[in-house]
Amino acid sequence: MSEFEPKIVAFFCNWCTYGAADLAGVSRLDYPPNFRVVRLPCTGRLNPKYILEAFKRGADGVWISGCHPGDCHYIAGNYHARRKFMLLHHMLEAVGLEPGRLHFSWISSAEANKFQEIAREVVEKVRACGPNVNFRKAELDLGLPEVA
Amino acid sequence: MAEYIVKENALKDFFKALTEGGKRRFLAPAEVSGKLQMIETDPEKVSLDFGNTHQSPKSAFFPQTEKLMAFHKDTAKSDPFVYKPLGLDETAPMVLFGLRPCDARGLVVCDRVFQNNRFTDPYWKSKYESAVKIGLACHDPRPACFCTAVGGSPFGEAGLDAIAFVRDGGLALKTLSAEGGEFLKGLSGLESAEIGAELAEKKQAAEAGMPGPLDQSKVAGAAVMEIYNQPHWKDTADRCLNCGTCTFVCPTCHCFDIQDEQNEKGGLRMRNWDTCMSWLYTVHGTGHNPRPTKTERMRQRFMHKLKYIPMKQDGACGCIGCGRCVTLCPVNIDIREVARQMNG
Amino acid sequence: MTSLPDLNQKIQSAAKRLLAEGKAEVVIGCRQGTTPMTVAPIFCRTEDDCNQLIWSNFAKINLATYLPKYPGKVAIIAKGCDARSAVGQVVEKQIERENLYIVGVACGGLVDVEQIQAREPRPIRAAEEDWATIKLSGDGWSSSLPKEDVLRRNCKTCVSRTPEGVADELIGEPTEALPADDYADLKALAGQSLEEKMAYFKGLVKNCLRCYACRNACPLCYCPVCFVDETRPQWLGKSQDEMDTFTFHLLRAFHCSGRCTSCGGCEAACPMDIKLREFNRLLDEEVQKDWNYLPGLSWDQTPPLTTYRPDDEADFIK
Repeated sequence: MSEFEPKIVAFFCNWCTYGAADLAGVSRLDYPPNFRVVRLPCTGRLNPKYILEAFKRGADGVWISGCHPGDCHYIAGNYHARRKFMLLHHMLEAVGLEPGRLHFSWISSAEANKFQEIAREVVEKVRACGPNVNFRKAELDLGLPEVA
Repeated sequence: MAEYIVKENALKDFFKALTEGGKRRFLAPAEVSGKLQMIETDPEKVSLDFGNTHQSPKSAFFPQTEKLMAFHKDTAKSDPFVYKPLGLDETAPMVLFGLRPCDARGLVVCDRVFQNNRFTDPYWKSKYESAVKIGLACHDPRPACFCTAVGGSPFGEAGLDAIAFVRDGGLALKTLSAEGGEFLKGLSGLESAEIGAELAEKKQAAEAGMPGPLDQSKVAGAAVMEIYNQPHWKDTADRCLNCGTCTFVCPTCHCFDIQDEQNEKGGLRMRNWDTCMSWLYTVHGTGHNPRPTKTERMRQRFMHKLKYIPMKQDGACGCIGCGRCVTLCPVNIDIREVARQMNG
Repeated sequence: MTSLPDLNQKIQSAAKRLLAEGKAEVVIGCRQGTTPMTVAPIFCRTEDDCNQLIWSNFAKINLATYLPKYPGKVAIIAKGCDARSAVGQVVEKQIERENLYIVGVACGGLVDVEQIQAREPRPIRAAEEDWATIKLSGDGWSSSLPKEDVLRRNCKTCVSRTPEGVADELIGEPTEALPADDYADLKALAGQSLEEKMAYFKGLVKNCLRCYACRNACPLCYCPVCFVDETRPQWLGKSQDEMDTFTFHLLRAFHCSGRCTSCGGCEAACPMDIKLREFNRLLDEEVQKDWNYLPGLSWDQTPPLTTYRPDDEADFIK
């Protein structure tokens, strides 16, 4: 099959979405395997440079997911994160990032069904955007002569 | 030494002829994104009326990012993981037209860093040795120019294969080296002429309005530590931002940082311009930094230009007086002021 | 109209008084530069130093940049933007309020040397200035320009030309604030295609040398180690890769969001004349829209990214 399979970097909060992914797994809810998860203690820990770094290294999409507002394990981590996301989301779209590449969600550790649904949505939206060419670093041009 | 003129209507032919039918890459002052730069350009687009190029021409021989070597990881081939040098064999030789005499002297300073009796940098050598460098004298030095203060001249000849000046909308040229004479001989657009007297007269006129020599005798005679410990460094450093603009535009700043990048297919080693103004430039793996504050970093640049390079290059000043750092420094740190403080 | 010699006189006597009274160990201001159209920041510790202080239309960088690295009692000769940045640093706890004395000077806007050179390409050998006019001269010519025509872009939308409210004392006749930036160009750009937006912003930084002068000139960039200098891991390559450069500019602007006072110091310091503020303006627009926040206007503000509201609206989050 020649269909484009996107690579997505997912940043999940340890206390909720990471658990939801686990619950979805043990509940045998199937979801597409296109994302690699980076576990964070809290979405408040997410430095915006991680997102840009993921794109720069060739990720086709980035998905950030944490606890519902009000449910933060550290009381206000996700509230602070939300403000950063508002600015970052605005800036990246303003400079020409396809809206379907960067996703944010709040998924509690009990919401395996929501996890499954959003995982499918994220993968499909990123797939629709096609490979990331504009926000990744250029391939290294080794410029070596051909050797057998 | 041969002398020629190029009439205004023959200029384009002459510039085209300099490429030797496309065998040489032609670099000349031309506008790129609103700034005049010494770049590879179309012979049609050369500018003759300018103060100096915005950046120095060192990037022709020492690009900001230069690939040194690369390897691949394809184990099906015979040579995986073996570093091979890049860009040493098939570089097309260059011809540079319109180098200002100050910048040509800057290249001489760099040349002695990259090629000396201790080692030779093949990446510099392969480009520098084969290049023909034709200077364009300054009739109208700019307010921040001070080549005459550091031993140069707006009609200076160091580092050049030929020098030209603008004459009736065309050019007058004098060859300076055997290579230059050989290269120019018989090129289309050139007519033999006597220009020696005119050149001398114009040189005198251009130098007349320029500053006199900057006295560096005490710096030359003093021990390094004596200048190093002078109290004025702290005062200048107060306002220095350590931004590094001076080092990036300087025709004689030549420091670089070697970096490796790799991916699943292979790896690349390259060198990039670096700046002694940066904290990162000297920080050790342990976290110790021998130049911990901006005072040491700023002092390093001036010591290097005005003391260390003269010590290593038989008294030749490391500053060639192009004035770029003076114009572009956001806080007006003027190397002439610092040189005076160091000397006295 | 304000006379510059008069203004300089007042600045100099204020500085001398502050040193004499011990309210400051050093007064940071500007003096005449060594070439036409330049000024140099000066750290005044003696009366002689104070006599060199001037107000100039050619001032380039924001003097508040020097404050976080300066121990002890400091006075700063501050235009509206310098004062706002200094207040921002106090709010962000980089400097102590009691160590800072702000001598506010009403500002009529600064000029952009690049624009002057575009209008007057002949070599400029001398420049004179008064409150509203720039007089230029060269070899056998002279001309004059109304300052209004060559104002820095950020000065055309300055909402804080007089550092009222935060200055410990104020010199000069207060100048009226200008209408705030309406971001009309960015709004128009937002309606264009992704390709056009990307081409515009990548095009802005294509000449970037990665010298980081913009960062060093910025009064907000006081991190002990900047993310571009981090090596474990190394977030940014050192080559001239387009995406490395672009990432630097995006993150530089992001780090200044909700803190930038539009002083234009970054653009003034840039040796390649990159319009760096375009990135900051993107975020300023959003900060003002979402939280109606302008930094540096009072001592008890809370920067928007250090706080939150439970009802912050972010409908893009699923």
